[in-house]
Amino acid sequence: MAENAFLGIDVGSISTKAVIIDESNTILAQEYIWTEGNPIGAVKRLLGHLEKQFDRTAWQIVGVGATGSARRLVGSIVGATVVKNEITAHAVGTTTFHPEVRTILEIGGQDSKIILVENGIAVDYAMNTLCAAGTGAFLTSQARRLGIEVEEMGAYALRSSHPTMIAARCTVFAESDLVHKIQMGHPREDIIAGVCRAVVSNYINNVGKGKKICSPVVFQGGVSKNEGVVRAFEDLLKCPVLVDEIGHLMGAMGAAILARRSLKRTVFDFSVGNMDFITRERSCGGCSNNCEVICVYRDGKMIDFWGNRCERGAAKLGGELSENSRG
Amino acid sequence: MRQQRKVALPRFGEYNCALKYIVEQGFEARCILPPPLSRRSEDLGARNSPDLVCTPFKTTLGSMIEALESGADTIIMVPGGCRLNYFGELQEQILRDLGYTFDFINLSMYNTGKKTDILKALKVMNPRCSMVKAGKALYDAAQMVEHLDDITSLYYQNCGFDPTGTYPKIYRKFLSDMYAAHSLSDIQEGFRSANHAFADVKLHKPHNPIRIGLIGDYFTVMDPFSNLELEQKLADMGVEVHRLMNVSNDMLRSGEKNKQASIFRFSEYSMGASSTTDIWQAQYFAERGFDGLIQVKSAFCMPETDIMPVLANLSETYKIPVLYLTYDSQTSDVGLMTRLEAFYDMVDMRKKVER
Repeated sequence: MAENAFLGIDVGSISTKAVIIDESNTILAQEYIWTEGNPIGAVKRLLGHLEKQFDRTAWQIVGVGATGSARRLVGSIVGATVVKNEITAHAVGTTTFHPEVRTILEIGGQDSKIILVENGIAVDYAMNTLCAAGTGAFLTSQARRLGIEVEEMGAYALRSSHPTMIAARCTVFAESDLVHKIQMGHPREDIIAGVCRAVVSNYINNVGKGKKICSPVVFQGGVSKNEGVVRAFEDLLKCPVLVDEIGHLMGAMGAAILARRSLKRTVFDFSVGNMDFITRERSCGGCSNNCEVICVYRDGKMIDFWGNRCERGAAKLGGELSENSRG
Repeated sequence: MRQQRKVALPRFGEYNCALKYIVEQGFEARCILPPPLSRRSEDLGARNSPDLVCTPFKTTLGSMIEALESGADTIIMVPGGCRLNYFGELQEQILRDLGYTFDFINLSMYNTGKKTDILKALKVMNPRCSMVKAGKALYDAAQMVEHLDDITSLYYQNCGFDPTGTYPKIYRKFLSDMYAAHSLSDIQEGFRSANHAFADVKLHKPHNPIRIGLIGDYFTVMDPFSNLELEQKLADMGVEVHRLMNVSNDMLRSGEKNKQASIFRFSEYSMGASSTTDIWQAQYFAERGFDGLIQVKSAFCMPETDIMPVLANLSETYKIPVLYLTYDSQTSDVGLMTRLEAFYDMVDMRKKVER
């Protein structure tokens, strides 16, 4: 008899992550790949990788959790039992592995969040609102400008002893400041260390504004793999910043744990990897709102839709949906 | 005989029903209802507005254009405590530059504190009408606004716990009654029957439900289109949604006399517009053990931005989480849903531990 296992998928703007865990949260398989602007393709590739790492005779996946900005789409494709926002998923994942944590810093590709925890319960959180400054996307574009890989940035930053001052208020200003400093002949190490500091001070000033950051601090998200940013956080917060080995997978982990805790059970096999999914954006046209309704098709048949603000859209598309489920 | 004027006020929540009553019953002119706010209104407004002005300016301008397209020849604009006081002047100029011909009643020019001055301004609609009749209509409309606010807050406090789905129907029926009202007794009858219908619905409400208080800038927090139906979304999650910020509480009812004095520990001076009221309401909710606060504001709203540090202090003092939401002309509510769901989860988990 195969034992129960749970899959958690976190599809972010930049990267797609997944873990498979057993009943005691031990990781059975894990994967981290780039989304490359194609969440459906990324999930299929991801499942392909996981299938190879995973012994399907010993374990059976009975619950799937989806999170990340593409959670709705991916959730309907893989038939997730739990679809949860990434803030809750991160909080659940982190407090499971670090019950003593007080502050969770998270910097992803397009967004950043801070979660304050008391006694293992999230008590306050904030997420960047209008501006994407101080996120992974900024680091990636600056690495490209400097002609290095984003993964190498941390090592460069650690070699610097005099980080360059770079304006941190806004990505656009930071970038023009950066170009100026490059043209003034600042060493590359110092500039990269300066960029890391800019990301951190932007984060503290915007997302962390008015939040009391208490130790122990856990830092996660893709950017936590950059040692330069970790160092900059430690310098600014004046306390140790813990980066978990699986910090980049914590959202997926949280989703898997939520799937485990939920009572819903559906056996998941890897067959969705071979199915054909497309999404189409349709304009509802029922009124002048012209809601953009997202329709998901599996092998040419609609399986899900969302984005309509009122029942008019639901009535229009719901008929098509129920026909498919009948046929 | 001179033709009746066709008067319009830009859409603002459901308050247009009160204006319709004043215009038609008090001044015997015709009231043009602009179409409900939509992406089109927002686009029209944004295209013709200064870029960094706050969103309510754009939405109301778009609604004025739609009112003119629907045949209005007289536009009314309201005064306010912030930049809103200048909105009318600028919007009139923009509309004239676009080539529209109309009369503009800019109430901020008559905002002298004397109620009769407002009446004088409105008399432009029909100079021959009786001032007594107009005054009576203003009084009736004030009652309508109070009933509307009472029913609306009752609706959002309870509709999340209505398993039968009749709440929205009752609310819609009540709104259409208000738009159709011809007399004070129509208004009172509509109010009574909505109240009775609400009372007949058996609610499945837990003993200690999650209660969230909304505060925010005058327009965005009250207008469901502008805040992407925040109240309905919260209610659908099973939340008791409370909002004190409405026209009745702010203009018609006396309430607490010196709000600034009672929030002395958080803020000594007023920061303009809705700031003092907002802090006072936040404190009111916090003192009554609410589970969370949501601040709803339009991007670039100065008073609301200024009170954010005060709210952070308040949140610290009362241990109440605050979610800050900033709205601009957005088309998608995915980001909003992420934040709301996370906020709900957090509040819910906290509450479970407390229990």
